[in-house]
Amino acid sequence: MDAVTLIGFIVAGYAAFVTIAAVLGVVLKAPRPKWLDQVAWMLEILAVVLAIGALAAWSGGRKPESLSTFLGYLGALVCLMPLALQTMRADRSTWSSGVIAAAALATGVVAVRVMMVR
Amino acid sequence: MTETSAKTRSGPHLVLLTVYAIFVLAAGARSLVQVFTHFDEAPIAYSLSVVAAATYVAGWFAIRRAAAGSAGFAKVMLWIELAGVIVVGVLSLAVPSWFPDDSVWSKFGSGYGFVPALLPILGLLWLWRGRPKENDESVDSHRHLA
Repeated sequence: MDAVTLIGFIVAGYAAFVTIAAVLGVVLKAPRPKWLDQVAWMLEILAVVLAIGALAAWSGGRKPESLSTFLGYLGALVCLMPLALQTMRADRSTWSSGVIAAAALATGVVAVRVMMVR
Repeated sequence: MTETSAKTRSGPHLVLLTVYAIFVLAAGARSLVQVFTHFDEAPIAYSLSVVAAATYVAGWFAIRRAAAGSAGFAKVMLWIELAGVIVVGVLSLAVPSWFPDDSVWSKFGSGYGFVPALLPILGLLWLWRGRPKENDESVDSHRHLA
């Protein structure tokens, strides 16, 4: 297993953790805690690391089956969480945690797709 | 928790809107790639992907409008979306020759974990329960499937 695949698994696993934490917030009907934002930003950092790793492997000669699909997934991987957090910046209600959950889950799924198409 | 203005009111629709936005991105990008790189391989399937993407754009606006109080457009749009998923899902199983490659709604959205089939149902349930209110829980138990 190469380094990028390993990072991909870490991103996917961590994304699952963030999803569960955020869903728990909704279930408990708590206002969105500050730490959930920090945990979500941590996922974003990991996603960026994965994107850079995948780009490095690509520039190192690895050929994805479809370049546009590959680059599209990388864009989604990096953009999803900041967009979700930005949209919910002024809203600390319970359901804003649900938005973070959806974004985290999507980020995890995209991370897996990046590993499959790269 | 205090309700803010109608536009930013909180509720389960925020999660619906997020998932719709993700599907606008996913279906939109996918259909663009399909149409512009290899449209000839599966013209029917790829055209249906474009329809799906357009439906998600309309659905996103419809749910926003419904959250602001006018549910009429959302009622129509979500039924159209559900019909689309069912018709395309059935067609993809009944006439596989039309679908040499998958469209977004092929096999009821199996490529997306069946979320495309769940979304309009959850949306209609949300409409059914009336305006978004804080103790609106039922949608959430399904949400983590998304």
